[in-house]
Amino acid sequence: MPLRPSRRLVLAAAAFGALAACTQRAPSDAAGVAQDADARHVNVYTTRHYGSDQAVYRRFTEETGIEVRVLEIGGAELFDRLQTEGDQTAADLIVTVDGGALWRLAEAGMLQPLSTPALQAAAPARFRDPDNRWWAFAKRARVIVYNKESVDPVILRSMDDLAQARFRGQVCARSSANTYNLSMLAARIERAGADNARDWARGVVENFARQPQGADTEQIRAVAAGQCQVAISNHYYLLRLQNSDDPADREVASKVGVFIPDQDGAGAHVNISGAGVSAYSPRVAQATRLLEFLLSPESQSLFANLTNEFPVRPDVELTPGLAALGRFHEEQIPFEALGRRQAEAARIYEEVGWR
Amino acid sequence: MAVGDAGVANASPPVARVRRRRAPSSAIAFLSIAAALVAAAICVGPALAVLISAVTGARPAFEAFQQGLFLDSAAGTIVLVTLGAGAATLLGATAALLVTLMRFPGRSVFEWLLVAPLAAPAYALAYSYSSLTWAGGPVPAPLTGFVGAAFVYAVGFFPYVYLATRAALVAQSPSALGAARTLGAAPLRATLRIALPLARPGVAAGAALVAMEVAADYGAAVHFGVPTIATGIFRARGPFQDALLGNQMAAVLLIAALVFLWLERAARGRRKFVARDAHARPAEPFRAPWYAAGLATLFCAALVLFGALLPMSWLARLAMLNSNADLASLLRPLTNSVALAAIGAAATLALAILIARAARAGAVGRFAALFAASGYAAPGVVIALGALSVYGLARSLGWVGGLAAPAALLLLVWAYAARFTAPGAQPIEAGMARVTPGIAGAARTLGASAARRLWRIDLPLAGPSFVAAAIIVFVEILKELPATLLLRPLSFDTLAVRAHTYAADERMVEAAAPALLLTLVGLVPIVMLTRRLDRAAGAAR
Repeated sequence: MPLRPSRRLVLAAAAFGALAACTQRAPSDAAGVAQDADARHVNVYTTRHYGSDQAVYRRFTEETGIEVRVLEIGGAELFDRLQTEGDQTAADLIVTVDGGALWRLAEAGMLQPLSTPALQAAAPARFRDPDNRWWAFAKRARVIVYNKESVDPVILRSMDDLAQARFRGQVCARSSANTYNLSMLAARIERAGADNARDWARGVVENFARQPQGADTEQIRAVAAGQCQVAISNHYYLLRLQNSDDPADREVASKVGVFIPDQDGAGAHVNISGAGVSAYSPRVAQATRLLEFLLSPESQSLFANLTNEFPVRPDVELTPGLAALGRFHEEQIPFEALGRRQAEAARIYEEVGWR
Repeated sequence: MAVGDAGVANASPPVARVRRRRAPSSAIAFLSIAAALVAAAICVGPALAVLISAVTGARPAFEAFQQGLFLDSAAGTIVLVTLGAGAATLLGATAALLVTLMRFPGRSVFEWLLVAPLAAPAYALAYSYSSLTWAGGPVPAPLTGFVGAAFVYAVGFFPYVYLATRAALVAQSPSALGAARTLGAAPLRATLRIALPLARPGVAAGAALVAMEVAADYGAAVHFGVPTIATGIFRARGPFQDALLGNQMAAVLLIAALVFLWLERAARGRRKFVARDAHARPAEPFRAPWYAAGLATLFCAALVLFGALLPMSWLARLAMLNSNADLASLLRPLTNSVALAAIGAAATLALAILIARAARAGAVGRFAALFAASGYAAPGVVIALGALSVYGLARSLGWVGGLAAPAALLLLVWAYAARFTAPGAQPIEAGMARVTPGIAGAARTLGASAARRLWRIDLPLAGPSFVAAAIIVFVEILKELPATLLLRPLSFDTLAVRAHTYAADERMVEAAAPALLLTLVGLVPIVMLTRRLDRAAGAAR
């Protein structure tokens, strides 16, 4: 291919180099965006695509008259888009899943510190950024799903079990590219060190019944079908199958049990959904109102009922499905560690061959 | 490469390929070349942005070749392109040979029905098949990983090869094949010795198209958990937090596509021995023994069954299970999808026409066209990120404001044009080749202006291939996912986006309706196109 380096090309290269430099600068000098206090709408960029969220936004509009305009987008794309839009972004409230993702947004200067008495009262200290740039509004646990027929749950204690030789050829898990698995390992690195994490991941890979495929629901199906005896999943996937319109799904759900691991040890791995107000929002007042609304008892129970996520507020009653899982002991690491350790976790997974 | 140029592409006399029209020296001609180069530059822009950022990063580009992530991904892409495109080629070429050369029950229906899988996006097939075959599912076939992805590519993409091969066969084989049969060659022997070699350029063109589709596919690969460059780019950018590695992997894919395209064109350039006498009649399809005809019917029926009927009816069943089904809520995404695809196709077509003209004008134009076509092999997200980075540059210079509705849509249309120039320009180039130097020269000699020649000669002669190009690009944009996901404005969902957001979360019951609707919307123009081209081919007989 005859690509002669011309002057134009060099110029263009320089321009893009400059662009890279510009976009990587953290836009922390966020203040000074003119505010539109009377705006009757608020723009939300979100990586969540749940009916519960649409229900919450609808309720918010009914209550406040403020229209919620939504852009649903993938996690990586959310970051790209916000970074490129910079101070011109249309986003007022940014909603995402995963403590690591929230940390990354905050670190890049895309969220502004913000605190109100309502927020303070709603979210326990662990479930918000120490600098108040993001606030968690729902949480999910990573649990062990087992085949009720072949596995007696009394032999289960910890996520560590899945790396032990007695589960050789019996474990299913989804791809390591997935945030839930990345954050689970990142948390382990934070709590027990990289060597422990590597040994554990290697042990699980040795125990795989099959190569990772599909998402968490597919692992549950595989357990129900007897292709594996145990699998790793977020807790709400099983609840979703129990409530599914497809009778085949409900059949699957009836064949598997849930075990919340590490109750006499480090605690079960928990991740969060959270939101923060864009550093460049021209509608901070409206965005703050919506953020407060996400943490209101009403919204919290919508999340619990429709998405089967655990509320962050301790004063919200659990749905029967969630109550059956019970209140449990959670792994106590700062959520920012999920972001800081993510690349390291990705490299460990790659090293041990967890695809 | 020829998707929609069935019966048109290769109907041109061979002279057009041997001798090219000399560039006229008038100012208008000069302007049209300049416009063509600008159009090519517009199409190349996003890919070029990615290439530049890949080589101007903090690490030299060759270091990407030492990264495990890159090596795994590249190996996966090579395996999948070989398996998927190989199988699709085998299926598509066989179907084309059967339908064109042999008489069997249902042949006239299969002629156009075999194109139906083109309307279904690969990710929709992947959703459907994985929910048919998942653990404990109704079909206990292990359609997972590489096997699953290659299967979906084979049954979803074979129509590209089918169309291109059939176009080559319909246009070129009759007299030679007829002669062979008159001389007493058995049908099978005549097929293998005469028809197949003559159809080879068509087969190769279709295979090249499928190879690029496979290399660029993200949705199905990620659904089956297969490591490819397209999914690796996401891994690099996401979990590994290494955007540079992502850009470098994208650059490798783009360069590989360029080399591939160049080879394919070089191979096509030598195809001068095939001549078609305008008055020749295509050979009548031969009458096969009953068992052979039965097998042919079964084969074609299986292709339609696995490529369209089975996955789509399964999606329909899933959609009907949905107790919260709100079909009205799909109305906006439906109109958004159609409007976006129409606008995108119009813009792509305009650029593709300019580029196709440039490609006929000389080496510079041909190179520009080649480069513009490479976007087709790039995953949509790469092109979209390229477009986004150009926007980011313009924004940081203060030239543009926020990415609100008009700007976001413009950027999105730009990304579509950059990605789908290849399938748009190919039929157009083929159609323009019908304007032979003789015709053009006569018009010039008679004093027709460039504009008048375009209006009175170029458009009427090449018009049908423009329609074909428009339909193909329309359907491609309808199915497009990653760029739409990244660049669309607030409160603007398309059917593809709806289907994806549910399917990504394994909520197939909810994903089914938009995926199905999307396929049906694409099916209508695709079938119309094929039937129209069939009629055109029939008229030529």
